[in-house]
Amino acid sequence: MQLRPPATGAARRLARPDTLRLVNTAGPNPPASSAAGPGLPAGPGDPALDPRMRVRIGRLELRNPLLTASGTCGYGPEYAGVLDYSRLGGFTTKSVTRLPRPGNPPCRTAEVSGGMLNAIGLANVGLQRFLAEKLPFIRTMPTPVFANVAGYSIDDYVHVAGALDAAGGLAGIELNVSCPNVAQGLMFGTDAALLGEVVRAVRGVVRSGLLIVKLSPNVTDIAPLAAAAVDAGADALSAINTYVGLAIDGESRRPLLGNVTGGLSGPAIKPLALFNVHRAYREVAKAAGVPIIGMGGVRSAADVIEFLLAGATAVAVGTALFLDPTLPLRVCEGVTAYLDRHGAANVAELTGALRLT
Amino acid sequence: MSAPSNPTLRVAARDARVVRCREICRDHVRIEAVLTGFPASAPGQFLQVLCHDPDDPAPRFIEWSDSPTPGLARPAPAEDTAWLRRPFSIADRWDDPDGPTHLEVISRAVGPGTRWLSKLRPGDTLDLSGPLGRGFDIPDVQRPLVLIGGGVGIPPLLYVARVLAQRGALDVTCIFGATTRDLLPVPLCQQPRADGVATRCVELPGNARFPALVTTDDGSMGMRGYTTTALRAWAALRADAASALICACGPDGMLRAVAGVTRELGMTCQLCIEKPMACGFGTCLSCVTRIRDERADGGWRWALACTDGPVFDRDALLEYAP
Repeated sequence: MQLRPPATGAARRLARPDTLRLVNTAGPNPPASSAAGPGLPAGPGDPALDPRMRVRIGRLELRNPLLTASGTCGYGPEYAGVLDYSRLGGFTTKSVTRLPRPGNPPCRTAEVSGGMLNAIGLANVGLQRFLAEKLPFIRTMPTPVFANVAGYSIDDYVHVAGALDAAGGLAGIELNVSCPNVAQGLMFGTDAALLGEVVRAVRGVVRSGLLIVKLSPNVTDIAPLAAAAVDAGADALSAINTYVGLAIDGESRRPLLGNVTGGLSGPAIKPLALFNVHRAYREVAKAAGVPIIGMGGVRSAADVIEFLLAGATAVAVGTALFLDPTLPLRVCEGVTAYLDRHGAANVAELTGALRLT
Repeated sequence: MSAPSNPTLRVAARDARVVRCREICRDHVRIEAVLTGFPASAPGQFLQVLCHDPDDPAPRFIEWSDSPTPGLARPAPAEDTAWLRRPFSIADRWDDPDGPTHLEVISRAVGPGTRWLSKLRPGDTLDLSGPLGRGFDIPDVQRPLVLIGGGVGIPPLLYVARVLAQRGALDVTCIFGATTRDLLPVPLCQQPRADGVATRCVELPGNARFPALVTTDDGSMGMRGYTTTALRAWAALRADAASALICACGPDGMLRAVAGVTRELGMTCQLCIEKPMACGFGTCLSCVTRIRDERADGGWRWALACTDGPVFDRDALLEYAP
């Protein structure tokens, strides 16, 4: 048991012991600069296992910067036969709430130009069944797994995050403070003071894994929210969640979604996501030394490079998984080809390398 | 750098080669594609088909390693591009002795994705994932079997007919319905009768030689009326009608009617449903339908059409409850 002194995010992080291991591997992670180390088989010819692809999220080293985004990859078993987790940078589960949630009435998704709207309604099995039915499989996954946690009160968040962290087998918690599909969910993600409060409370119970805060883009300026999360002790930020949107069937004069509104994802939001990642990086994360997991419309190696340049340390693929669950591995080849072409030593040096002058 | 080989599923298989495209009736195309290494499938299972050009980098993924002009000239997808995959029942599947698998889908042009499919030509590539979902469950092929398809819901029943013939089923009757004569997406080998007597009027795949009844809403071909009109006619001639298993796929209204009539006549019934879906793998949780579950609060829970279905027992589906 380790109680955390109240300190600013960056200072506290530096004081933490470097003990976290890559989940499900034999030994501690080698530094990013070394050749293949324990648990990370050398993979000459496999871009996903190229040592230049390694990145650090806090104390955790990922074998490459490609993650899956929450809500697009289930709890693990769904893609187990098709996506080789031993070559994936990291995996983020569907949201987990304190109690089971059946989700919204249909229609839950609608394709729109350049993407899709979803209003699933945080359908999930709830904490107890997650621990009993989902976690055993997750423990066998040869990639770091982050559990996405959603809630309706600070007590909810603390209860679920604390239980998950204590259960073991997870690389960390991603705090969903921005799922726009549930009316109350908007609060935490759009109010800096409230966000700081919930992150600080959860920080107190997330001891063994990383604490990642997923930022909502449905704000005038993402920077104060990023700052609130970092000051409250977030190990990393993920940006961005979906944009609230509306799709209408003019003939019936009804919304396409049963929930009326939904979250917009897909290529349509990529420029908006890049802007927000860059702003959070430049205004907050860079100085604090807090990594950003960038996401929003990623579907190619080019997109991955753009997110890295904007300030992301790792990049998550979300909606594009619906077209091709193997996409996070397929894009790795394009990323290493970019490193070759630009004479870059590793992907880590691309973070924030956007040229502004 | 492919995914781990999965004995039951291929994802984003970009090597399906279109070998035949037939306009089988107004607005409907029947596409035959050939690929290798396709896993075993069952009738009622479906494919997630990419309905834009897999070789066109615009709507898909630019791989810089392959691109002569890296990062340049990447036009935005046209506004009417179907970006997400679209689910299609397997209309037929057979395997050459030397390996390659033939897959057929039947598509009605109703939107950007299906309009794109209708422009495919032999030699084009089809990008598909599958087989997905749970198909029809027909353990006993000795009982009377009735395959009911409505419009673009007919395709999975064609595949059922092939497999039933392979399994030696003898007492099989097809009932295929359309709104009007030029919207029936199956080839005929003789004029269907209007008097409710099933004949071998429909060309079925493989060795299937089962009699069929055809209905049209307007009476322009076969019996005037709905597939349930034909089902009642079939049942009226059979003393053992109540022992039949009915397999049905079609529009919502038809499935509701089939559920009602089969319940009334004491028949067992499996329904293949369609719901809007994004992934097909049980991750997006879009394609929900209420099913009976005594252990759940309120006696029901959401099930996924993609992984729990698309074929369900009639009595499980709350939307078709009496």
